[in-house]
Amino acid sequence: MIKRTPLVLGKKTYQDVTNDICSLVEKVPGPKFFASLISVKALFVFYLIVMGMIVARGMGLMGVNNPVNWGTDIITFVFWIGIGHAGTLISAVLFLFRQKWRTSIARTAEAMTVFAVMTAGLFPILHTGRPWLAFWLLPYPNQRGPLWVNFRSPLVWDVFAVSTYATVSLVFWYIGMIPDLATLRDRAKNKWRKRIYGALSLGWRGTGRNWNHYEMVYMLLAALSTPLVLSVHSIVSFDFAVSIIPGWHTTIFPPYFVAGAIFSGFAMVVTLMVIVRALVPEFKNYVTIGHMEAMNKIIMATGLMVGYAYGSEKFVAWYSGAPYEQYVFMNRAIGPYAWSYWLMVVCNVVIPQLFWLKSVRTSIPLMFVISIFVNIGMWFERYVIVVTSLHRDFLPSSWGMFHMTFFDFGALIGSFGMFLFLFLLYIRTLPAISISEVKPVLNVGHEGGENNA
Amino acid sequence: MESNLRDSGQKSDQQTGQTESVEASGSPKYWLSLEQWRQDPEFKKMAEKEFLSSPLQNEEGQGGWARREFLKLMGASLALTSFGCVRRPAQKIVPYVNAPHEITPGLANYYASSWSDGNTGYGIVVTTREGRPIKIEGNPEHPANRGGMSARATAHILSLYDPDRLTAPRRHLFNEGRTNFESVSISWADMDQEVVEQLQKGGVAVLTSSLLSPSTQALVDDFSQAFGGRHYRWEPLSQEPVRAAAEACYGGASAVVPDYRLDRARLILSVGSDFLGSDPKAVSLSRQWAEGRKPGPEMSKVVVFESLMTLTGMNADERYRVKSSQYLHILMGLLHQIIVVQERSRYAGNAQVIRALQAYAGVARSLGLDTAKWAELASDLWANRGRSLVMASSAEGPDTQAIQVAANFLNSVLENDGKTIDYRNASPRAFQGSARDLKDLITGLEDGSVKTVIIHRSNPVFSLPSSAGLVEALRKAELVVYTGDRVEETGRLAHFMAPDHHSLENWGDGEFVAGVYSVQQPTIRPLYETRAFEDSLLNWSKASDRASLRLRQADSWYDFLRQYWRSEIYNRHRSVVGDADFESFWISLLQKGVFDTSRLARETEAPARNFNLNALQLAGRGQERSTDSDGFELVLYPTVGLADGSLANVSWLQEFPDPVTKICWDNYLSVSVKDAADLKLRQGQVVQLRVGDQGLEVPVHIQPGQVDGVVGLAVGYGRSHAGKVADGVGVNAYSLLAYKEGRCQYLALPVQIEKLGKQSALAVTQGHHSMEGRQIVVEATLAQFNKKPDANIYRHKIFSLWSEHKYPRHKWGMVVDLNTCTGCSACVIACQSENNVPVVGKRYVMQGRIMQWIRLDRYYVGEPEDATAVFMPMLCQHCDNAPCETVCPVLATVQSDEGTNDMIYNRCVGTRYCANNCPYKVRRFNWFNYAKDNFKAPLNQALNPDVTVRSRGVMEKCTFCIHRIKGAQQQARTENRTLKDGDVKSACQQACPTGAIVFGDLNDKESAVAKLFHEPRSYAVLEEFNIRPAVHYQTKIRNTDKLKGDSNKKEGQHA
Repeated sequence: MIKRTPLVLGKKTYQDVTNDICSLVEKVPGPKFFASLISVKALFVFYLIVMGMIVARGMGLMGVNNPVNWGTDIITFVFWIGIGHAGTLISAVLFLFRQKWRTSIARTAEAMTVFAVMTAGLFPILHTGRPWLAFWLLPYPNQRGPLWVNFRSPLVWDVFAVSTYATVSLVFWYIGMIPDLATLRDRAKNKWRKRIYGALSLGWRGTGRNWNHYEMVYMLLAALSTPLVLSVHSIVSFDFAVSIIPGWHTTIFPPYFVAGAIFSGFAMVVTLMVIVRALVPEFKNYVTIGHMEAMNKIIMATGLMVGYAYGSEKFVAWYSGAPYEQYVFMNRAIGPYAWSYWLMVVCNVVIPQLFWLKSVRTSIPLMFVISIFVNIGMWFERYVIVVTSLHRDFLPSSWGMFHMTFFDFGALIGSFGMFLFLFLLYIRTLPAISISEVKPVLNVGHEGGENNA
Repeated sequence: MESNLRDSGQKSDQQTGQTESVEASGSPKYWLSLEQWRQDPEFKKMAEKEFLSSPLQNEEGQGGWARREFLKLMGASLALTSFGCVRRPAQKIVPYVNAPHEITPGLANYYASSWSDGNTGYGIVVTTREGRPIKIEGNPEHPANRGGMSARATAHILSLYDPDRLTAPRRHLFNEGRTNFESVSISWADMDQEVVEQLQKGGVAVLTSSLLSPSTQALVDDFSQAFGGRHYRWEPLSQEPVRAAAEACYGGASAVVPDYRLDRARLILSVGSDFLGSDPKAVSLSRQWAEGRKPGPEMSKVVVFESLMTLTGMNADERYRVKSSQYLHILMGLLHQIIVVQERSRYAGNAQVIRALQAYAGVARSLGLDTAKWAELASDLWANRGRSLVMASSAEGPDTQAIQVAANFLNSVLENDGKTIDYRNASPRAFQGSARDLKDLITGLEDGSVKTVIIHRSNPVFSLPSSAGLVEALRKAELVVYTGDRVEETGRLAHFMAPDHHSLENWGDGEFVAGVYSVQQPTIRPLYETRAFEDSLLNWSKASDRASLRLRQADSWYDFLRQYWRSEIYNRHRSVVGDADFESFWISLLQKGVFDTSRLARETEAPARNFNLNALQLAGRGQERSTDSDGFELVLYPTVGLADGSLANVSWLQEFPDPVTKICWDNYLSVSVKDAADLKLRQGQVVQLRVGDQGLEVPVHIQPGQVDGVVGLAVGYGRSHAGKVADGVGVNAYSLLAYKEGRCQYLALPVQIEKLGKQSALAVTQGHHSMEGRQIVVEATLAQFNKKPDANIYRHKIFSLWSEHKYPRHKWGMVVDLNTCTGCSACVIACQSENNVPVVGKRYVMQGRIMQWIRLDRYYVGEPEDATAVFMPMLCQHCDNAPCETVCPVLATVQSDEGTNDMIYNRCVGTRYCANNCPYKVRRFNWFNYAKDNFKAPLNQALNPDVTVRSRGVMEKCTFCIHRIKGAQQQARTENRTLKDGDVKSACQQACPTGAIVFGDLNDKESAVAKLFHEPRSYAVLEEFNIRPAVHYQTKIRNTDKLKGDSNKKEGQHA
């Protein structure tokens, strides 16, 4: 019988696993970590300043204009929302399919989802002309009639979709962490630590009843999250697909967006995992090359789906006979923004094809570079969709160009500051790998189990 | 109250206390009852609370936090809190003590007045709200403009509230060489004293532009006479050669710039005349042109020969590109073709004529024109004799006078004189600027014979090149008084700046059409310590014992004006006035704004004048020059927006996309497509221009349809002392004028172009110029229209799965006739003024953030080198199935039950989804708090209080002037009647000189708009999306054989 590659390397015992994962939270981190934290924090502060200035002075600081009324904010919003999808997919869908390899990356992927959705969620608010009134998009009883929101508007659907997604992801993430938080509580030597983790672990005692309820809730939440993987980005795509703008008004958008989201999400997981592996060498035993390779395979598969969508769009534009649509797709490929289109195609379709080679798939430096390319490509995919469709629509008299300003770049780059800052804090304050889920996949106790030696 | 109660409570305490102390020493002296006397404990208890009903003691006795205590403390803390952080500073409002009876808050008052700008004037109606003018509209009763307006006339309102106006007289503290420019304020009395002292020394000169006002003219004449001075008239862009040519051709009595009657002409030939665009009379000429453009057998045909691309050329049926130095050849060549080749007219065979025309045989061939077309044009002109019209460039060039003589001759040959050339009704006061006056003034200043110069309504230091030597000459004058409303370039050289009232603050009059007298009445009390120029003259002239009787008798300018009207207008036209006395005549004049004595003369044709053939000698001079100069010719031209540049500090006009190039906030060198390719020039590349010893650096604009070998540059830009808006915008092209003996040459200036490595971004509001084969502006030839009125319109089969919106009462709609829309953009400014639309500045225009609610789309058709253009005013289409409405998450833009798409500003969050989903891209977003910068006092007074000023972060767009609709509905309701067609006019419709915009109720089957809406020539843009716009456009009909656009139309595309 061919032996499966073990999911955790280093012949870990249960004790080792607990120690490895908890020590991250319990020990004072090294200078490498602090250097990283301070630099991303600086970026985060810069982001806050940029956003503060936009709120104070007006959206005019960014490059948006008429006809390109949506710009970096919406592009980056869709980008971050897309990033989140891999987390849900790994933690919920792969859980339901009993993919055991997910256990060591699920927690971090899920955390990435939560932080990505948090980062994303700020953008649509900040992109409005009067962000302080953005709560008007929520249907709540009010004294203006009451005046409800426009349920026909995809932006309202978006509010529901994103807020549901954020809530479910957060709850799912948190519920999954409870046993581990209890472990941290039990190991805590400091009073405050004990109290905080104690409160967070919601009185977990590890009884059979606890586990029974926990498993049930976890599975239910996984089942609840699974449709969200499909629905959230479908609804985000409706922002575009429901409009009448050529290049947006396309039925392929929902599946295309979902595939793209998973694609970019996995790329982001790979990027983060490579960074985490570098920052915390102990993780290499838990997030193995095998994990990375599995994710790279998904990247390659979804990359092909995205490539198919690009081709399909072109075909449909040609086949439809609609001149406006034909023009938009021609303009994407050969117009003034052709560079962004081809950058997108190269990054998303061509470069991931390198993953056909096992040597590339299993090379940490190469997969890091490729995942970065995919991230860039996916940002530009949204850039192409938003900008090239808007900048030349129906009446040529209103055609225009979109140029990013300092504030566009600030918001885009700064958002990584926010995301990474949250992520680094997470690594050192919460159990970054699910202790309770990793232990069952160890071969401890199995006959002939390698880890039992 | 509370403290009072408490006081009384305490008092009662004290009283009881006293009682007790008395009690201590025995029984009370005075007792109320036996119980008291007995000192019954029951009674004592009762006496403690003397006031049984008082709540005070009840509660106080309980101790702790009683209700009152709590309330007191809470009140105090609230007061303290609110004292600590004052939320809004107190703003005191003071009501009128005696409310002016003519002002009803919330209702507008309208004053008929007039506006004039040097050589033209319009009857206007000034809308005032709560005593301040907010909008200028055309007076439909006035024959000069019949309600139409130019962009500049409308924008003039903003100059009233211009923060850069002078607020009081000032004196310059000159050093010896008058090279410093510090100034101090001075009182009017002190200034008058010094001026009068100087005036009495004699050598007085009054320099003005043409004065259209008969009474001001009379006053200036009297003033000059009183001091033995002289009145000099000069202006840039003068039409003096036209007058001179008329004099040479028809004798001295005819020395006027004639009125043209395009409405009577069936064939209009323009050789370099931009009668629909930058011509000073474009408003009235456009209206006449539109009258003749009704598609049908009587439709006129316009043939244009020109060098730069102009609105006239873009609207022409046939357009030929020739150099400005070839205009004379065209006219003389046509004369040759008609008289010599085709042997037509009574001049055929006339030896003198043949001799003069001989040199122009074969002009068509030498200029590379199609000879068959040429002959056909000559035949057409002849066939339409008496109903044709030849107009030629009046801009001063080397041949201008010859060109005018040739045009006059052609008109005489074609028997147009008196018919389409109306020489009788031209204003005798317009275009009186004279080169000789300027020359004399400069000479006089130099030799010292002119000691004092009073400069009014003229800014010669800005509009003359330095070679004229005016600056040096003015520095020699003993006293220079400048009456401009701001410092300006000329005012800097003046000893005194005696700011005149704004025309909206001042009395006045005007004769814009012969025999049509208009009155100008003040619509607001002068905002500042300014004084009417006329009052200044009156004050000063009273010091002279030679002042005329009427000067001495007049108490004020108003008095003088009325006296003048009584004696010179009222008394002389008693037959027209009827039996009204002067007071009632005056009142009715103020109501109507105009007194028309020449209606009959305008309706009848005048006899043809006798053409003096000797004048042809003037025209003969052109042949000495070659038809093809080697280098580039520079043409300096006025734009539709800024014209001579006097209103340059009006931000609306700076942000006014040029109707031809769609560029604002700059002037630029327009270069033809081929020349740009030859010289490898890019759009926006900076070049160095050299004309003689003068040089300028300007960015290049590549202009389709422009003739090769000619480059154009607009004047009016490059102001240095006009104010914050205008200063430093563009370059002063006047500095390149060739000056000779008072005459300035604008056309055919030899110029050298040198490329520089710099790039200067131009603020273009329309970046793409082709319709890409889409059905946007539909064009058809007259023949196609005659065969099928809806020719070239592809109609989509549209159906709906849902029931349509219901509009039970009104359904507002609009029809824009593209056939008569010239693209002049007067509607753009009218809308801006009506709807408080802010300007954003050059930088943000370049970013695509212009706010104007009407965008005048201009598309080129044909090959770039020889392109022509079509126009389309694009505003919110108020679609029934509006794409913007479905996507707004907060319902900030909704359909009304009257068919308008309403924007609810205070609900708008600013997601901008609506703007994205608008297929016409007519929505405008407030990216910043524009209102703050735009409407800083005193500019805020120009705001229309009926229209919300939009804050930052909200979307805005055309409202179909909803406030006017609601106003008219209220009016109708008060008058207990139903709304009738014409009650509601949109601001754009009102301003349109050609009546191309018609607005009204589509539910009213009898309304003008309803009839036009369903005409076969009407269509909806982007009809196939079933969004059902409430605006329909009508096909542009060209009276020609073949459309230029046909060549680049893609087959099989109707979208």
